Amino acid sequence: MNLVRAELERLSARRFVQLMIVLLVLAFGITAATTLAGSHRPSADEVSSARQQAIEARQNMEVSYQQCLAQRDGISTPDTQEYLPADCSDMDPALQDRLPIASDYLSGVFNFAEQAKPLLFFLIAFLVLFGFLVGASYIGADLNSGGVVNLLLWRPRRLTVLGTKLGTLLAAMLALAVVASVAYLATFWVIGQTAGLAGQLGGDFWSSLGAIHGRGLVLVLLATASGFAIATLGRHTSAALGVVAAYAVVWELGARLVLAIVDARRPEQLMLSTYIGAWLDGEVRIWDAQLCRRNVSGVSCDGFYTLTWRPSLAVLLVIAGGLTVLAFAAFRRRDLN
Amino acid sequence: MSAVIEIEGLRKTFRSVRNGNRVAVDGFDLLVEAGQIHGFLGPNGSGKTTTLRALLGLVRADGGRMSVLGEPSPELLPRVAGQVGAIVESPQFFGNFTGRRTLRLLARAGGVSISRVDEALDLVGLRDRGDDRVKSYSLGMKQRLAVASALLKDPRLLILDEPANGLDPAGIREMRDLMRSLSAAGVTVLVSSHILGEIQLICDHVTIISRGRRVAAGRVDEVLAGHDRHEFLVRVDEPERAADLLRTADLTAVADGTALVVSGTTDPTAISRVLGEQGLWVAELTPLRPDLESVFLELTGAGEHPSVPRQVDEAAGPRGADGTPVIDLDVRGVDA
Repeated sequence: MNLVRAELERLSARRFVQLMIVLLVLAFGITAATTLAGSHRPSADEVSSARQQAIEARQNMEVSYQQCLAQRDGISTPDTQEYLPADCSDMDPALQDRLPIASDYLSGVFNFAEQAKPLLFFLIAFLVLFGFLVGASYIGADLNSGGVVNLLLWRPRRLTVLGTKLGTLLAAMLALAVVASVAYLATFWVIGQTAGLAGQLGGDFWSSLGAIHGRGLVLVLLATASGFAIATLGRHTSAALGVVAAYAVVWELGARLVLAIVDARRPEQLMLSTYIGAWLDGEVRIWDAQLCRRNVSGVSCDGFYTLTWRPSLAVLLVIAGGLTVLAFAAFRRRDLN
Repeated sequence: MSAVIEIEGLRKTFRSVRNGNRVAVDGFDLLVEAGQIHGFLGPNGSGKTTTLRALLGLVRADGGRMSVLGEPSPELLPRVAGQVGAIVESPQFFGNFTGRRTLRLLARAGGVSISRVDEALDLVGLRDRGDDRVKSYSLGMKQRLAVASALLKDPRLLILDEPANGLDPAGIREMRDLMRSLSAAGVTVLVSSHILGEIQLICDHVTIISRGRRVAAGRVDEVLAGHDRHEFLVRVDEPERAADLLRTADLTAVADGTALVVSGTTDPTAISRVLGEQGLWVAELTPLRPDLESVFLELTGAGEHPSVPRQVDEAAGPRGADGTPVIDLDVRGVDA
C-alpha cells in the first residue's frame, strides 16, 4: 500500500502527466466553448418549420420508393432524369438506418443525442493517446534515469515493483478516464438542455452510449498497458513511440497498399485499426469484393461482412496481454543500469 | 567478527551481439566484516560497479556466491533490504521534486517513518535546502541527497559507490566525518572511490579489483606494508661520495641529484652511522612509505607508462607467484 501511494504521488507529480491533463482540459474547454457559442435554443417557429421539412423529406423518400417499384413492375415508364437503383429495397424507407427528423433541419442548434457518440469517440481517442504516452513515459523515464534502480534498492522485488507501477498507472488512468468522460458528457448534456436540444434520449440511447463508454475505457487501459510494456521492453519512452510509428507506416499504410495490389482477401482482418474500430463501435461492416463474385446462387448479396466486438476484444487482449507478459519476463531477468 | 558481505567467485560476462562478450567480473572475492569501513578500489571498468550491482540484485551474476547480512543475495536480499542503505553510481532524482519530497517518497515506498527524512537531511547537511527543488541542486548537493536516501533506513550496512563525486573539499571532509561517525555507531560501510587519499584516510580495510579479479585485500596498513620496499630518502653533502660509502656497507644507494634513495636495511641508524663515521652529516633521513595511490597504480598497472593514454581495459590482472602482485592479507579470507 505504501508503494502504491508513493507511485501515485510520483505519477501525479510528473510534468508530462500534468501537461497532458492541461491539454485534455484545454481540448475539452475549447470544444465545449465553441459548441456553446455556435448553438442556440430553437424558437417554436424554427422547430415547426424543421418538423415540416422532415415530414416532407420522409414523404419524398416514400414517393421515390414507390416510383422505383412501379418502374420495376413496368407500371410506369422510366424517368430518364431520375436515377433509380436496380434494387429498389435500397430506397425503401423502412429499411433505412434512420429517417429524416426535425433536428436535421435545425441549423446552429446543438443536438446532444446526435452528437454524444462522436463526442465520446473524440474523448476516447484522446484518452487512448494520453494513456499510451503516459504509460510509456512513466516507466521509460524511470528506467532511463535510474529511478527504477533507486526503487529496487529499497524494494528488491522486481515483479512487485513493476506490477505496482503498472497497477497504479492503470487505476489512475481508469479514474481519470471515468471522471473526464462523465464530466465531458455531462457538460454537453447541459449545453443540449440549455442552449440546444437534448434530442431523442429514449430507447436504448443511454445503454448504447454506456456500452461505447465502457468499451472505450477498456481500450484506454489496453493502450496504457501496451505503452508501458513496449517502453519496458525497449527501456525507453521513445521505444514505444517508435514501435507505434513503425507499425502505422510499415503495416497499416505499406502492407495495406501491398495487400491491395496483390488483391489479398479481407486485408482489413490483418489490421489492428479494424479491431479497434470494431471493438469501440460494437461491430464494423467491411466490403469484400470477392464475397459477391463467388456468389452464384442468385441470392441477394450486399458484399459486406461483419466483424463484431468479441473477436476484436480477443485480438486486443492477446496483443496487450502478450506485450505485458513479455515486458514482465524481460524485466525479471535483465541487467539494470 | 561476523561477515556482513561475502562474495565468492563472482563472475559476470556482458554479452552483446554487436560488441561480443566482455568479462566484467572474473572469479572475484570480497569479504566485509561487521564494523569495518571497507574501501573498494579499482580502475575504471575494473568491475567495481558491476560487483556492487550484482550484490544488490540489479545485475544477474553468471556464477559465484554472494550474501548480505547473512542472507544469500539476490535470492533473499528482500529479507535484509531494510537494513541496507546503498547508492550505486549517481542516482537520478526528479528535478521538479524538492529534496524533502524525494526522500519522503522513498521513505513511504520503503515503509520507513517519515520522521527519518529530516534526520537524514540533517546528517548530510541539506536541512536548510530540503525544500528546494532538486534541479536547483549542485552536483555535490545531489550526491548528498543520494547519501541521505541511503541513510533513510537507518542501515546496518551502507554501500556507497563514489560518494565523493562532485563534492567540494569541505564536502569530502564532511562525508569522511559522516562515515566515521556512522562506523562508530556500528554501521558497516563499503565505499568505492577513486579518491585514494580519502580511502586511505577513512578506511580500515581495502579490497582492490583489477580486470574483474581481486588483486589485494586486507587491512590498509598491512596492504601498504606488503609494498614497503624499506627505502629511505637521504639528503647529504656530496651525494655521490655518500652513495659509494653506503655501497661499501652492503647497502643499495642511488644518487638522485642532491639526494639519495637508500635501501637494503630496515634500520635508518645504519645509514646515519656509516655516513657520520666518514664525516658526512645527514641533513634529512625520511623513510619512503608507499601510499595507497602508489600501491593501487602498481597493482592495477595504471601508472606504468604515464605518457601513454591508458585504455580502460588495459589494467593489470592479478599475477601469480612469478612476480605477481596478488596480495591477500585478510586474516580470514573468503576461502578460509
